Amino acid sequence: MNPYLRPDHRERARQRDKREPPGRYHPLFTALRALVILLFGILIVQLVRLQVINSDDYAHRAEINALREVQIPAARGLILDQDGRPLVRNAARYSAAILPGDLPDRGEMGVYRQMERVTGVPMDEIERMVLAGIETNGAFDPVVIKPDIDEETALTLRELEPVTPGLKLLVEPTREYLAAPYLSHVLGYVGPISQEEYEELRGQGYLFQDYTGKSGVELTYESVLRGRPGKKLIEVDALGRELKVISERRPLDGTNLVLTIDLDLQKMVQETLQEFTAEGDSAAAIVMDTDSGDILAMVSLPGFDNNAFSGPLSNDDLAAIVEAPGKPLVNHALAERYAPGSTFKTIVGAAALQERIAYTGTTITSRGYITVENEYDPNVVTPFYDWSALGTLDFYDGIAMSSNVYFYYLAGGKADEGFPGLGEARIAKYARAFGLGAATGIDLPGESAGLVPDAQWKEETFGDPWFLGDTYNFGIGQGYLSATPLQIITAVSAIGNGGKVVRPHLLREVQDSHGNVLQRFEKSVRGIVPVEPEYLQIVKEAMHESVTRGVAQKAAVPGLEVAGKTGTAEFGPARPGSQETHGWFVGFAPYDEPEVAVVVFFQRGIGGSDAAPAGSKILDYYFHGPRLAQKPEEGE
Amino acid sequence: MQRHAFRHFDYGLLLLAGGLVAYGGLLIYSASLTAYPDGIAGLSHPVVKQALFAAFGLTMMAIIAWMDYRVFGQMAPALYVLAILILVVVLFLGESTFGSRRWITVGGTQIQASEVAKLLTIIALAHFLADRQRQITRVRVFLASLALAALPAALVMAEPDMGTAIIFGAIWVGMVLMAGARVQHLLVLGGFLLAAIPFAALAVLGDYQRDRIALFFNPNSDPLGGGFNILQGEISVGSGGVFGKGLTNGSQTQLDFLQTPATDYIFSVLGEELGLIGALVLLALFTALLFRTIRVASLARDQFGRLLATGIAIMILFQVFINIAVNIRLLPVTGIPLPFVSQGGSSLIMLFVALGLLQSVLLRHRQLEF
Repeated sequence: MNPYLRPDHRERARQRDKREPPGRYHPLFTALRALVILLFGILIVQLVRLQVINSDDYAHRAEINALREVQIPAARGLILDQDGRPLVRNAARYSAAILPGDLPDRGEMGVYRQMERVTGVPMDEIERMVLAGIETNGAFDPVVIKPDIDEETALTLRELEPVTPGLKLLVEPTREYLAAPYLSHVLGYVGPISQEEYEELRGQGYLFQDYTGKSGVELTYESVLRGRPGKKLIEVDALGRELKVISERRPLDGTNLVLTIDLDLQKMVQETLQEFTAEGDSAAAIVMDTDSGDILAMVSLPGFDNNAFSGPLSNDDLAAIVEAPGKPLVNHALAERYAPGSTFKTIVGAAALQERIAYTGTTITSRGYITVENEYDPNVVTPFYDWSALGTLDFYDGIAMSSNVYFYYLAGGKADEGFPGLGEARIAKYARAFGLGAATGIDLPGESAGLVPDAQWKEETFGDPWFLGDTYNFGIGQGYLSATPLQIITAVSAIGNGGKVVRPHLLREVQDSHGNVLQRFEKSVRGIVPVEPEYLQIVKEAMHESVTRGVAQKAAVPGLEVAGKTGTAEFGPARPGSQETHGWFVGFAPYDEPEVAVVVFFQRGIGGSDAAPAGSKILDYYFHGPRLAQKPEEGE
Repeated sequence: MQRHAFRHFDYGLLLLAGGLVAYGGLLIYSASLTAYPDGIAGLSHPVVKQALFAAFGLTMMAIIAWMDYRVFGQMAPALYVLAILILVVVLFLGESTFGSRRWITVGGTQIQASEVAKLLTIIALAHFLADRQRQITRVRVFLASLALAALPAALVMAEPDMGTAIIFGAIWVGMVLMAGARVQHLLVLGGFLLAAIPFAALAVLGDYQRDRIALFFNPNSDPLGGGFNILQGEISVGSGGVFGKGLTNGSQTQLDFLQTPATDYIFSVLGEELGLIGALVLLALFTALLFRTIRVASLARDQFGRLLATGIAIMILFQVFINIAVNIRLLPVTGIPLPFVSQGGSSLIMLFVALGLLQSVLLRHRQLEF
């Protein structure tokens, strides 16, 4: 009987109470002891669970807690022009931020006030941004209050950071392109690594929040420029502060690239192109060493400022660049292919000489057009026009005057006159031998292979047979044929340099940070065209005459023997009255022993009146410009 | 008091308490190494301070053991008023740490009000219940005793310190049961409380407590914020394994992954550095201490002494349980010190005062025999 729980027995219990004090082994005391055992038993069960059964797991987690592998970034290599002028600089981008999780409990307004004083962003604005940041990313993602602050502000923040909890200075490595907006397509830019790139590159020591070359030379030579980041294993405390270094591997800085680019020439070429280009139209020009394939200048319009990618780029900003007329991000010198027009006649001419279809004295009379009868119905006659009734022409005249009729004969022949042509297969063979229809292998990403058509290709692509008309169009660089300006300059250089199809390139050498050359670019010839040098010499002379007396006269440079060929290729749907044309000029100088080749391409323009004068200005600058610039100095 | 009365002094109880304080000293030393890398080099070192508090506590214990505990019974109403007073004062003038007001400063010394109020409330409850030995079965007396405990509990809850409020509740339940309250009354009350939980969760619990409870169930929702302690305590104890990493060798403790490692999370330090063995030693010490406290209750010559000892036993038991349970993720975070072990003067001194009361009860039991 429990005397405490049975009030009806109160009297008897009281009697017993008086007789004896509550026993040591009273059930309530036993219950209390049992409660001790029970509660401690519960604790022991959980302790065994943590410390015996799952102990290894927790030990591992404790280890992850305290050990951290951090990367020591390697300085990215610089890029220099051929004279050693730096084209890019490693810089830091500073942003003022607040880490909400570190803000003092009741003192956040004080931190906001400091922030307002330093950055000028009003306090209520800061508070709103911080609250919005917590809402979306939680309290432990820094909220950027002001991006891209100047170095002086950053310095002030750096001093405040250790004494102001929650205040953060974010530092990101970035590239400052010193020549921008020049060379943007060539150099490209660096950006944060994307998810896909990370998946691919993580094995090479890239981090999730890393940077990598995105286009241009920055992309091609990523591995050279990047170097090898160092690594260290550190022990950290709960706040992530480094306590001691357990192991360390020093970073290996990236190496420097010296390009073949001549910055002065690059600027001049870009300015020249801009003179001849309407807003939003695309254009391209390349200046290349005919013998080595060194690219001295490469311009694509419209341009863009690659520094835009070094800062914070909103999706809207990016869309504005991508969708601007003329596709500014596209390097039109090599990424897009166009009908080469009459510039292609140089290759057809060389092929015709080599195949004995023509010799220098082969004369053809252009009445302004020739006609082709329909294979099935002779009454249907299709005319193929020349740009003018040029009269009787020999081989030199054919190229110099850029007669379409002359090349209709060479390409397709004239069966009724017993004049055999090259035919589509042979033209295609020579076109490919000159490097068309395949990427040149330049050290830039995104190169287009162009297209060299033939009967088989047409059959496969359209299911149609190849017609004589197709061969005529092919012979004057129209129709299905398409090539990049880079391919055209490489092909025409082969005429100039005696038949070598070179691999164009931008890299001259790789240097370490002390200027020691680690690696020099070896000139590489992709192939020799199957044309006798004497025939190439004839084409060369014909191109020279084109400049001296033919349609490329506007490419002439006083005091310089220029060989050149213009092209005006129709593109797009024919519209009544006018048809849009690409304007080309490709040439080299001096014509007998060429040093440099130039190609100028206007997406909307005429070869003779737009591209040729631009080519003239570029060649004039290349050969005479620096001398002229020095004259006033000498006069002083 | 006659000299021979001291043969009833429970040296075992004193030795157990001393052992726990010494054990705590070792852990506090280890937990303070990051803040005091040179070890004990001055009077401001936490271990030295703890030793000084223990010495002061021992003196208090001796004085109170020498006094007749029934004096406190007579003073009970005044002591209760004092308890309420300091709890009110701390609410308005207290100093805030970790988001709650628990401290008042008297003469340059910080005093944790609830530690003092706990013991004073036990004395007041014991006096109230002993006075009404046969009336506790009446609903009115039952509820009056409840009100007596509920007032300080509510004030503590407002600090906010839910853990200590729960301790108040446990003390009251244990004491009224010991006093002979009807189980039916407690069951009905329990039923009411259960029914009230949803409303309490909405009305009484602040955001602070709701967050803590939510975090208990999913600490990964904020692993670097509020969930940090929960996860790190669990990792510390678990990573200790059976034998521990050795005193001062725990990475969690020494690299600051534990917050408040010398106070609320001292058990995590123990679990990490001394392992399951160390934890079992600690629990064995507490079991022995509690059994000796229950023995005091069973030997007490009157109801007041019995209730006093019961209240103290329950207070210690639940503090130990809740503190360790929080460390090993059995309960949501609540700041309760581990008795005798955690760094903290108020808690330690009041525990020695409680020991003094127990010894006083023991020294005066069955005095008629002599």
